[in-house]
Amino acid sequence: MLEIKNLSKKFENKNSGPKIVLDNVSLTVDKGEIALLLGPSGVGKSTLLRILNNLESYDKGSLRLDGHSLEEYKRNNKHATGMIFQQFNLFEHMNVEKNITFALEKSAHKSHKEAHEIATQLLNKFGLASKAKLPINKLSGGQKQRLAIARSIALKPLVLCFDEPTSALDPYLKSFVAQNIQELADEKYIVLVATHDVSLIEKLSCKIFLMDEGKIIETSSSAEFLAHPDQYPLIRNFVKGINENIDTKI
Amino acid sequence: MIDYNLLAEALPQLIIAAGKTLAIAFLSASIGFIGGTIIALLQMSANKLLNALLMTYVTIIRGTPMLLQIMFMYIMLPQFGINISAFATAVLAIGLNSCAYISQVIRSGIKSVNKGQIEAAQALGIKKFDLIRHIILPQAFIVVIPVLLNELITLIKDSSLASLIGVIELYKRGEIIISYSHNALLIYLCIGLIYLILTTTLTLFVNVIENKINKYVGN
Repeated sequence: MLEIKNLSKKFENKNSGPKIVLDNVSLTVDKGEIALLLGPSGVGKSTLLRILNNLESYDKGSLRLDGHSLEEYKRNNKHATGMIFQQFNLFEHMNVEKNITFALEKSAHKSHKEAHEIATQLLNKFGLASKAKLPINKLSGGQKQRLAIARSIALKPLVLCFDEPTSALDPYLKSFVAQNIQELADEKYIVLVATHDVSLIEKLSCKIFLMDEGKIIETSSSAEFLAHPDQYPLIRNFVKGINENIDTKI
Repeated sequence: MIDYNLLAEALPQLIIAAGKTLAIAFLSASIGFIGGTIIALLQMSANKLLNALLMTYVTIIRGTPMLLQIMFMYIMLPQFGINISAFATAVLAIGLNSCAYISQVIRSGIKSVNKGQIEAAQALGIKKFDLIRHIILPQAFIVVIPVLLNELITLIKDSSLASLIGVIELYKRGEIIISYSHNALLIYLCIGLIYLILTTTLTLFVNVIENKINKYVGN
């Protein structure tokens, strides 16, 4: 179980002073669960994921994984968390397979043979086996995302963090990605998804944490919210606002 | 009238001296490449003092003539008890000059590497050494290889400055031949032609490499 308690973070800005990006955020996510961090841009969702992946520090609060502090846990298993970035951030000068084997060899210290075997299994699993030797820019957006997931889970993390996983995808691919995320939760990963894509509420069986100005302002589950939207006015308004915005643009 | 006898005597000597010119250029470029890479990597650090020192070095080197730097090195090294040959002094001085220029080229290459890839590597637990060696530098070098090869072309021409401290490279050998043959025009033409052949060959090589890189990046 991942437990985040009273997590706070502020960025120092020389011109405008300190900006609080996370303000006493607390949440728990169990194995096999998906936490949907919902909210507009700039409310601290991505920062939370970045903190979990050691890409940002935090000012106060505690992060615990399976009863141990995350720092302590990572001392023994530095791959406890994995991150799938919005822009995938694949290594563009390496081919598809090398994107997976590189971290296995250099970070998990697997032999070349072991790394190759793991990569082959994962490429098969994600339907990328025929692309193994291709350069990254020969992949479609959906394929890149599957490769990013494969690269991350190759290191066997407990927690998988998705930063805006559907923002650059068409509706068909969104459903496909949602299916991938759900399957990962079914495989008992702890999954956190930072998104403003409200369609994921319907596509995922998840906990919803609506965030605003660095705080969690309302929580629900996707099933509960879909059954009784009026009981969750802030989430309902956010969903309505996003959908109206989409309608206006259309 | 072309003095064919002088030509037959001078050309082999000039071609042999061109070998020394190339040696100065390649050795200086090697020092410049290694030193420039180290400076560029050190400039990635958040240490303000270190960055200020490195920028001071780069500013001094880029702001003063290479001729002065060679002479300075030639006079200064023996003061510190370092007695090396004129050839080694020239290579060192030109190499240190090249360091400053190449460091800024490589630095721009490093800056062109997508920051997201660096974060992805950090999130995957890749150590800093592996991050630099396998992610940052290969991609930075791809971008700057044509510029680095052009620096080598510049160094071939700049190597003639070594003649001022007595290194008998292409230009100096030509001057020696002129001193007894008194046919400056013919010898200078030969020197110019040899420089042109060296730099043009390298330029063609740079073009081939550039096309290959463009193809690779395009793919």
